Amino acid sequence: MHPPSSPHRHWNRRQFLNHLGGGFGSAALAGLVARQSAAGAPATAPALPAFVPKVRRVIQLFMNGGASPMDTFDYKPELTRRHGELLGPKDKPEGQTGVSGAVMKSPFAFKQYGQSGRWVSSVFPHQAKWVDEMAFLMAMTSKTNVHGPASYMMNTGFLLPGFPCFGAWVSYALGSLSDNLPDFIVLPDARGLPYNQKANFSAGFLPARHQGTLIQAASPRPVPDLFPPDKFAFAGGGADRQARAVLQKMNRQHLTEHPGDSRLEARIASAELAAKMQLSAPEAFDLATESESTRTAYGVGQAVTDDFGRRCLLARRLIERGTRFVQVWSGPQGAVNNWDNHGNIEAELSPIAASVDQPIAALLGDLKQRGLLEDTLVIWTTELGRTPFAQGSLGRDHNGGSFVTWLAGAGIKPGIAYGESDEFGGKAMHGITQCYDLHSTLLHLMGIDHERLTVRTAGVDRRLTDVHGHVIREILA
Amino acid sequence: MKHALPFTLLTLALAAPGGAEEFFTDRIAPLLKQRCFECHSHESGKMKGGLTLDSKPGWAEGGEHGPAILPGAPENSLLVKMVRWTDADHQMPPKDKLPDEEIALLEEWIKRGAPDPRAALVKPPPDADWWSLRPLAAPAVPGAPDLSITHPIDRFIRARLAGAALSPAPAADARTLIRRVTLDLTGLPPTPAETEAFAKESAASPLGQDGSSPAWLAVVDRLLASPRYGERWARHWLDTIHFADTHGFEHDVHRPNAWRFRDYVIGAFNQDTPWPRFIQEQLAADTLFPADTRLTAALGFLGAGPFDASAEGTAPAAYEYVDRDDLVTQTMGAFVSTTANCARCHAHKFDPITQDDYFSLQAVFAGVGKGNVAYDEDPATTVQRRQWTTVLEASDTIGPLQPEVLLTAENETLVTQWEAAGGGREIWQTLSPDLYTPAINSVLTRLADGSVLSSGPRPDTETYTLTVSSPPREVSALRIDLLTDDSLPLKGPGRLDNGNLHLSGFEAWIFRAGGAAPEKVGFTRALSDFDQAGYAAPTLIDGDPKTSWAIHPRVGEPHHAILKPAAPLTFAEGDRLVVALQQLQGGQHLLGRFRLSATAAPAETLIAVPAAAQAALLTAREQRLPEDRLALAAAVLQERARQELSRLPAQVQVYAASAANQAARGAILKAPQPRTIHILKRGDLDKPGAEAGPGALSAVAALNARFSPADPQNEGQRRAGLAGWIAHRDNPLTWRSAVNRVWHYHFGRGLCDTPSDFGRMGGVPSHPELLDWLAVWFRDEAKGSLKALHRLIVTSATWQQSSALPPPPASAAQPVTTLAPHRGGPDPQGIDPDNRLLWRMNRTRLDADSYRDAVMAASGRLNLTMGGPGIAHYNASPGPQATPVLDYAGFDWEAPAAPRRSIYRVVYRGIADPFMEVLDFPDMGLLSPTRGFSASALQSLTLFNNPFLLGQSTHLAARVAGTAPAPAEPIRQMFQLVLLRDPGAGELEEFTALAQSAGLPAVARVLFNTNEFLFID
Repeated sequence: MHPPSSPHRHWNRRQFLNHLGGGFGSAALAGLVARQSAAGAPATAPALPAFVPKVRRVIQLFMNGGASPMDTFDYKPELTRRHGELLGPKDKPEGQTGVSGAVMKSPFAFKQYGQSGRWVSSVFPHQAKWVDEMAFLMAMTSKTNVHGPASYMMNTGFLLPGFPCFGAWVSYALGSLSDNLPDFIVLPDARGLPYNQKANFSAGFLPARHQGTLIQAASPRPVPDLFPPDKFAFAGGGADRQARAVLQKMNRQHLTEHPGDSRLEARIASAELAAKMQLSAPEAFDLATESESTRTAYGVGQAVTDDFGRRCLLARRLIERGTRFVQVWSGPQGAVNNWDNHGNIEAELSPIAASVDQPIAALLGDLKQRGLLEDTLVIWTTELGRTPFAQGSLGRDHNGGSFVTWLAGAGIKPGIAYGESDEFGGKAMHGITQCYDLHSTLLHLMGIDHERLTVRTAGVDRRLTDVHGHVIREILA
Repeated sequence: MKHALPFTLLTLALAAPGGAEEFFTDRIAPLLKQRCFECHSHESGKMKGGLTLDSKPGWAEGGEHGPAILPGAPENSLLVKMVRWTDADHQMPPKDKLPDEEIALLEEWIKRGAPDPRAALVKPPPDADWWSLRPLAAPAVPGAPDLSITHPIDRFIRARLAGAALSPAPAADARTLIRRVTLDLTGLPPTPAETEAFAKESAASPLGQDGSSPAWLAVVDRLLASPRYGERWARHWLDTIHFADTHGFEHDVHRPNAWRFRDYVIGAFNQDTPWPRFIQEQLAADTLFPADTRLTAALGFLGAGPFDASAEGTAPAAYEYVDRDDLVTQTMGAFVSTTANCARCHAHKFDPITQDDYFSLQAVFAGVGKGNVAYDEDPATTVQRRQWTTVLEASDTIGPLQPEVLLTAENETLVTQWEAAGGGREIWQTLSPDLYTPAINSVLTRLADGSVLSSGPRPDTETYTLTVSSPPREVSALRIDLLTDDSLPLKGPGRLDNGNLHLSGFEAWIFRAGGAAPEKVGFTRALSDFDQAGYAAPTLIDGDPKTSWAIHPRVGEPHHAILKPAAPLTFAEGDRLVVALQQLQGGQHLLGRFRLSATAAPAETLIAVPAAAQAALLTAREQRLPEDRLALAAAVLQERARQELSRLPAQVQVYAASAANQAARGAILKAPQPRTIHILKRGDLDKPGAEAGPGALSAVAALNARFSPADPQNEGQRRAGLAGWIAHRDNPLTWRSAVNRVWHYHFGRGLCDTPSDFGRMGGVPSHPELLDWLAVWFRDEAKGSLKALHRLIVTSATWQQSSALPPPPASAAQPVTTLAPHRGGPDPQGIDPDNRLLWRMNRTRLDADSYRDAVMAASGRLNLTMGGPGIAHYNASPGPQATPVLDYAGFDWEAPAAPRRSIYRVVYRGIADPFMEVLDFPDMGLLSPTRGFSASALQSLTLFNNPFLLGQSTHLAARVAGTAPAPAEPIRQMFQLVLLRDPGAGELEEFTALAQSAGLPAVARVLFNTNEFLFID
């Protein structure tokens, strides 16, 4: 048995939702909760939350490819002092694409910012102004140096495919704040999906409706089947309303004749939700309603920042309207246009960093100004770090040994850093954190004890945090 | 409770050292047991952090954080840090700190060197009494409640219902039954005509109490004989073993040959391959049934799961470990419903599976790697291939010739026949070139015998171009002789210092007298009297400048090559032949002296006769020296073997796992040896322990859990060993697993509701006796026939029950959802809300594949072509790296192959089809023994607006348009095609209005979205 973690541990989910005052009525909830999925996982988790939640919603900014710590937030003067020395391992470590070259200094200048005096490199001039709002994890590590498994780890807590990602767990555990939008939305880079493609957003063994809903923000049809294509004259507009009315009537009659099956009710309820989503989603996706100054602040309309800026702005609109978890990706998989800078840090990191920097700062400012930062958490992270040693002479190879994540917003102690890497930034030394610790902390902030959020599948009570995870109390407000 | 040990006792304990063992037994053991065992012992089944405190090795080796106790050093012992609650990360027990006295006691014990007489609990006692491990013995069929019930399944089910004072539901109506059974066995709905016919026959002769009638048996047998059956049940198996058509992970590329395994599975179900044989074929067809090469496709089982190409390339050790783990997990889950992988880091917490067992299973697969495996579709081809390959190897001039193969009576006859056909006596006419020019700067000289000698500078590469002005009228082959000359290094025939040369290409053109564009000669065969290893004559005509023919170390002697065009060449007066001799390998591997010649003899008898064989040809047969006979036979048979092999049908490939693929990064090893597998401490690759040999679970008492293959290095025998262990009649897991899986797909839930986990974390069977009876019946009576098992199940009254809740009492003034007592008895929903006792049938939803197929069946678009490469339901374009970009939304559903059954679509592991996903098609990164259910707004939107659905709605409307009176008759027919019934009066009115304002396709769209269509009663 678990000890009482808080006076609220006996809340059931409905009480919790009512407490939060989410717009989601309990009748609709009851209709949507299917008894039990055949996969063995109950459609929603029991008896949550365990703690009073400080965070109601999360925006995660994921830098795909392995953002270099020692060229962004992890200042290492030792690299400059020992630049060119051959100190790396002789043999190619597992997961690196080549053998290690000489120690390589960062091509970027670092400066200290804010009251907290955090060091930030010249690639992030806009985020640098926000360091006093951020809590940095300076010694995150991965179990692997390979993108695919590393991306799985940061998203699902496992090296292998088939497990639910953080967003799916949150959707499963806490359900919706809104009946108009999906709980968990993924905004991929317009240039393509990250490593592992959609498997990073999978619901794994949880019911499929908890998986990430992919929104192609730059597409004229961001949600593919929100409306019927124009070429079908019998569908759309008034015909849709009439058809749906006939359908719902027929399904209700069918329910009357087949009582006692919540799955039948769930389909009727979700058709109603679908109609609401048709009304609300286009409005949510329409950035034109934002003021010119807001759009400019996010970098919308400037070639470098337009795509990421649009998606950050969209993320704000989505969480504002009740989506619980929005994941904004920077960079597709592949050799270019992302954070996997093997060839030349200066040439490759500068443009991708510039594409996110102003939008991220704008997002933080916008959230703060609207009061959303009171209950919203923003996370900046990546799947692995990079070697302090050169690859070729100007790039850096994969390195799960140490990388940086920052958090800002609700529940976070601002302006601090936790953990430390070694003198070169290649290996986490003190205050080491893994995905499990990050995930357990995030769940904690959302009111969930990570050890209690379990689903039995294939003989194991599975958790997001496997058998690991410590809440990083040092960064909690 | 806080102070379990009064101070006085503690003082006594500390004051009186006594025997070390007594101190431990009296003071420490009870403390550990009381305070720690809840989370750190075998008896609780919990080993948090991998730590146990119930044996000395338990704490000495420790858990994830290393040894818990360092004897003699309490200050450095993790356990002491923990019990002192040193900081937030070090707090044990987690709820209440131990009283100071107990902490002191532990410190004292450790200070004394932590004496602990408890032996290691090496493995948890194999708990053979766990239901799934008990030996199979057929339980008696219950007599209760009613001996007039004849079907054994019904007797088991009714006995339990009677025990719970429940009664079974009545049989479902005919329309419900034929829809249920047709979808269940074939994944497709019945046609309106089939429904109508069965309803009529049922009315005439209803189902008997025993669950059968002639009409019903006819339907069941028709469905089981239909090829649609295999297509349906193959899908279940592919789910179970996470088969997909792509790799998954970072480089999620298509496996163009994976489909042959899918077709194998469909075929195996349709042929009703007995279950033990099905197991053996998938695990070790190559070793167990080598003669039937078609079964190579079955090995696709081993390649079903994901493949991390990136990790394989950059982190091979870790990759291989997790890849083998995936294969162990898949195999044990699918065949014996066991989660062996839980024993990777420590003995299984809940099931009697040791780490030793687990790594023995890894050792079974230690010699295979994923990749394409080539095989012959016709076993007769393999016999031929094997025969001629043996001859080819025996006649390879690089190694010693093998007389035991080449001089058999049979093969000598072939040589005699060749001689009789004129072989070896053809006449070669020298083609003396009129023009001979080097491309670079060699100096070419024509000698008196028509040969050409090269001298002067030695460029790195060269091409000699020769023009022959009056070639013979008919040429069946060209020949180039490499000749020795005293001017050449080591007499040549090459110009390199060691006498060698590399001829990378032999090209020929015909310039016709009229001056038309030259015709390039297409050669089909190139043969030589001798090939340097790795530099064989066929490279002369492969068009690749980087491959070449060479003759080292046989320098200082002449050699020749013969080049055969597809058809004889004919020359007219004035035609010229131009030959280019390309020496593009580099490194001055140039021709020294050479001569061209031509013949008109029949091309098939031409061979490049080596000098020794030439000697034999000049001697009467009976006077030939043995070595000359051998040389001749080798020359003749080598060419014959090459011709025969080239005539054989090309091999096909299946994506599987085999020894040939075990080497990382594509290198194929000639004789691969299984990798050495170590038992890894805590599953950590950096902590290898003892070696593990191939084996399986020691908890299955009847079977030997460690295999002793005749050849320990033969990896195929390892897999065959596991196949034998699994398919053994005395393996209780196997038979229970198979019948439970089949039951699951018939009832929507297994008797044990975790079909791939029969361990303590899995479900417990609702009807253990029935499960065992079925397992024994399936093994002994049905001889592993799935079709017999299906027939048994669907002819039971249990399966034929209605899925409806019992009707409300006649007097009810309550809402319908409040349930009345069941048929006069107690409320079944109250007694057994999950219907585990089967007092009615479970209602199920069409799964993604059945939904899609049923829609196309109704619209008339379903294309029943079987087999072959997968059908992509997306448009693919190149992605940034190996993984393409897929566009599902833009796919053209009118494409001819689009409406094939869903089993034939390409399943992209990492880029799932959104349409299938909303209907809970599982993530194929995951073993999926069951399908989930979800209802979401996105699902509603997709089924309402997706172009596939709207397109099919258009087709269905077109199928019935034109029937009169409109729109009533078209609507009625659509109801029949989709719902297998006529519309009610009210429905007809509603749909008429819809059809009139939006058109007939709008009617189809609504029908495809109804719960009546989506669910199977």
